[in-house]
Amino acid sequence: MSSPKAIVSSFVEGAPPGEVSSGYIKALTISTPNLVDELGPAFKKYNEEQFTTVKLPGGSQQVIVSSHNSLGGGRYYDVESSCSFAFDHATQKASATESHVLDGAQADLTKSILKGLSAYVKEHFTNAAYGAYPIENDSKIAIIIVANKYSPNNFWNGRWRSLYIFDPSSNSLEGSIKVDVHYYEDGNVRLLTNKPLTASVPSATGAGIAREISAAEKKYQEELNRSFTSLSEGAFKALRRQLPVTRQKIEWDKVASYRLGQDIGGGAARR
Amino acid sequence: MASPDPFDSALDLLRRLNPKHTSEHLNNIIALAPDLTEDLLSSVDQPLTVRRCKQTGRDYLLCDYNRDGDSYRSPWSNQFDPPLDEAGVGGVGAGGSNEGAGEGAVPGERVRKMEIKANEAFDVYRELYYEGGVSSVYLWNLDDGFAGVVLLKKASPQNDSTSSGVWDSIHVFEASERGRTSNYRLTSTVILSLATRGASLGEVDLSGYMTRQVEQDLPVENDESHIANIGRLVEDMELKMRNLLQEVYFGKAKDVVGDLRSIGSLSEGQRDRETQRELIGSMRR
Repeated sequence: MSSPKAIVSSFVEGAPPGEVSSGYIKALTISTPNLVDELGPAFKKYNEEQFTTVKLPGGSQQVIVSSHNSLGGGRYYDVESSCSFAFDHATQKASATESHVLDGAQADLTKSILKGLSAYVKEHFTNAAYGAYPIENDSKIAIIIVANKYSPNNFWNGRWRSLYIFDPSSNSLEGSIKVDVHYYEDGNVRLLTNKPLTASVPSATGAGIAREISAAEKKYQEELNRSFTSLSEGAFKALRRQLPVTRQKIEWDKVASYRLGQDIGGGAARR
Repeated sequence: MASPDPFDSALDLLRRLNPKHTSEHLNNIIALAPDLTEDLLSSVDQPLTVRRCKQTGRDYLLCDYNRDGDSYRSPWSNQFDPPLDEAGVGGVGAGGSNEGAGEGAVPGERVRKMEIKANEAFDVYRELYYEGGVSSVYLWNLDDGFAGVVLLKKASPQNDSTSSGVWDSIHVFEASERGRTSNYRLTSTVILSLATRGASLGEVDLSGYMTRQVEQDLPVENDESHIANIGRLVEDMELKMRNLLQEVYFGKAKDVVGDLRSIGSLSEGQRDRETQRELIGSMRR
């Protein structure tokens, strides 16, 4: 059996968008209140995987927390504001900002990608943060877009997050788009999607890369919208009819005679 | 501030965690807080398991209400599988009360007779609405009437490799008999899991459950009318919930995705709205 710490960690890592902070923590401490103090690694994993966003002290822009812009020791950096900051994974708060200027072989392309992303994100997301970070000794660039919408008054929360790794040596873009929607009015409904992507970028400029991402995300969203229709018309319809073939509700006073009077196939199906 | 009630905390957590894995989460919570085992098992709905009745060869559904230890009672044969020890069998007399859900509830003679009829009626219902699947009804005695659960389960074809679905209905009711009328309180949960995949789509999982309640006083002439009343209540509730699920799973989910990311350009949308406003403004002048 899993240890209590492993169990509670799995609860943290499975939290829906925007719900890890509120009542969630309290709910975790069912019988072992001290356990929360040991959950640092679980919160870190959640924040880095979910691209948690945070406002820097005195700033208005949301910046991203991920493994790709981690400096180690609980510090992360943001390219646009040329800042690094300490991040408390349990409270999701940033502090101790310091100047952090990006240099190295990919600094120019990274900034050019940010410019391209900025235009794209503004056109298609109402509340999103984005980032680009050189990784693997300046051999590749990680690109992140994360959009959150929390509407607890209407019992839903949602997150769109995409991650792409651009390889300048092959001009290839590889990544994934993930959507997570939680609806919880008198129930608990969750949409979880994962779409892996690969593309080659004809023009390896910031604008060219952003154009490729824009086209891929548009295509994906249209595909996802079609899947709602096909699930509704297909799998959902096949489970339960809205009304019987007769288009009439059952006459319950006569239900005992249905089997005798009508061949409804039930007997034959299970001899 | 007072510390939160552990049971409420557990339910709150289960309302947040991925509903596709409710059973796994439930087992984990029980491992953390064994004291809550019985309360959680009787109040958290899980996808139903199908078992074949050894006596009749017909399939039936397992839940906490036909369980005694590790044995489950078939509604078709009234027998437990695996069989209970002699001491455990016997149930209660016709007039006796047993709120024996999870304790090998065998209803009294009158209620068992209704249970047989209810199983036949909902077998017809199942065939007409689900065109397949499995149904089971379990009843038990209460001091002023009886209670029961109507279960329905259908899985959409597994050989369809691109998309699949599972529907579980769990309708728990209490019937309080008051002379010529009876008061019915129904709590219904539908657990619906859908998944689809494809090369250009990737993986999509849409899973969850919704719960609704209804209370109604209805006239009763005899035991047959109890079954008709429960039948109508369940039929109406399922129609309502099917519409609700359709709205939430395919409408709401799509809307939220559209709120996160707009397919069209936001600035063009803004310009269009402004143009429209000007147009309406100029028409008013």
